[in-house]
Amino acid sequence: MNNSILKSALIALLLAGLLIVPRFVESPYALHMMILLFMSVAQGQSWNILGGYAGQHSVGHAAYFGVGAYTTMMLMHSKGVVPWVGVWAGVAAVIVVALIIGSICFRLRGPYFVLASIAVAEIMRLSAINLTPLTNGAEGILATEIPAFKIGATVITDFVTKVPFYYIGLFLVLLTLGVTYWVQHSKLGYFFQAIREDQDAAHSLGINIALYKNIGLVISAVLTSLAGSFYGIYVGFVDPPTVLGLDVSVQIMLICIIGGMGTIWGPVLGSLILVPLSEALRSNMITDLLVKIGMVNADSKIGLFLKENLSHAHVLLYGILVVLVILFMPDGLMGFVKKLALRRKREAV
Amino acid sequence: MAILEIKNVSKFFGGLAANSDVSFDVHEGMIMGLIGPNGAGKTTLFNCITGYYPPSKGEVIFNGRKMNGLDPDKVCMLGMVRTWQKVRPLAKLSVVDNVMVGALARTGSLKVAREMAMEQLKVVRMEHRTNFLAGGLPIGERKKLEVARALATQPKILLLDEVMGGLNPAESEEIIQLILDIKQRGLTQMVIEHDMKAIMRISDRIVVLTSGEKLTEGSPQEVVSNPDVISAYLGEPHA
Repeated sequence: MNNSILKSALIALLLAGLLIVPRFVESPYALHMMILLFMSVAQGQSWNILGGYAGQHSVGHAAYFGVGAYTTMMLMHSKGVVPWVGVWAGVAAVIVVALIIGSICFRLRGPYFVLASIAVAEIMRLSAINLTPLTNGAEGILATEIPAFKIGATVITDFVTKVPFYYIGLFLVLLTLGVTYWVQHSKLGYFFQAIREDQDAAHSLGINIALYKNIGLVISAVLTSLAGSFYGIYVGFVDPPTVLGLDVSVQIMLICIIGGMGTIWGPVLGSLILVPLSEALRSNMITDLLVKIGMVNADSKIGLFLKENLSHAHVLLYGILVVLVILFMPDGLMGFVKKLALRRKREAV
Repeated sequence: MAILEIKNVSKFFGGLAANSDVSFDVHEGMIMGLIGPNGAGKTTLFNCITGYYPPSKGEVIFNGRKMNGLDPDKVCMLGMVRTWQKVRPLAKLSVVDNVMVGALARTGSLKVAREMAMEQLKVVRMEHRTNFLAGGLPIGERKKLEVARALATQPKILLLDEVMGGLNPAESEEIIQLILDIKQRGLTQMVIEHDMKAIMRISDRIVVLTSGEKLTEGSPQEVVSNPDVISAYLGEPHA
């Protein structure tokens, strides 16, 4: 009992802290990092519901991310629809897409489902490239200006600084966490996990497999689409590779694999590792650090080599990280933490 | 009254007849034993009855309702549930969560489901394992967990596929007591079993399958004294 009160208090404190961050932090770069982190958590958490809880390892979540992002951006660009309306159009589009994909792909199990999910995302990407009148093809869609959010004539907020994006991102995190919590503590969560653990056994216990897989997919896709729309508006630009590429799908999945699939805090942990890591690699932070502590001379051959190549190596390091996690922590970081806690408990007895 | 009627059920896999023209009735409250040598088509028959395979021919009528073509989940909701010869625990869920999944077929409330699950765990005498991971249980308890989970779906008929397979004599005895307990509660059961002594003790009637066909049906005494059954199991006697 005491433990759960402590836990709630900690979470409330953390939330309060996150809410007041923009009052004290003015550096756009720091806010940008936080926004990236929020987006990553939201993406991972969305995938987690279908992949982690229901065990349907989709490697095609870029389809939902991209459809959400594109719908919002297309409507804003060509019809002048404000994004907070466009977002819901994106959600509607994603529900249709998800139900079509689900009715086809969920006839397949295991690796066959994975392959089908990749194929569907690739179809989406190629469609975006080739349906030029709608999507502006490979050039993508650039939104130069985002209209201010008004209710009636009063301006609630404009989108000049990063602060409103920070709060939207935080809202997305809370939304996806909330939905995951609700799923885990309801009939849905039990049915999803039963399907994950043994589909045939679940079927014999009265669970309508096709129905519940599709419910999982729709929840997951809608949340992913929200994250996609948010990405589109925040970056102000979408093109096929950045929102519909295979690496988007893989990135979404990695957050959960590294953090721990089928746990509420897994995607949070995964994001806390992956986002700073990829940022550090991309921005040459590691080379600078090595130079600073004197391990490498900036003008030496090694220094120049690192500076030139390390920023391209983040995919390689990602790969190594994934291999290590799968080898040594098959249940992700969260699983590892749980195992340690269990061991401590056992030793205490 | 017959709660379950199997009428001329056949199942073909390509040219192979795994079941051909099998018919029998299961009456309410009884324990029906289903025996036969390996490969006789016992599990295939279970799969046909519970919706995993559509029968190629014939009908399965449960509570007066034709079941052909219904999916396993619908079959379960109508009150017929099976266990698996090769146990299928939901390994990463706790024992009570496993049973709750079954109970959730009948209720939307987790609280009610938990109470129902605890009740069934008591029936199989596994309360002390409530919070253990199902994947870590020894085989005897996995078998009992299968039964508890199936019972939690509140069935009218329970189909047990070799619940004693792979168990030691003490564990088998426990399962026999469990099956008799369940009978006491008025639940109809159909039991596939290889352990002859056990099946003779618990069954009210026995159906014998060989090579997919029904060889005979009768009380345990009738079945063991039937020369066809003896030759099916032991081969023809030498002259």
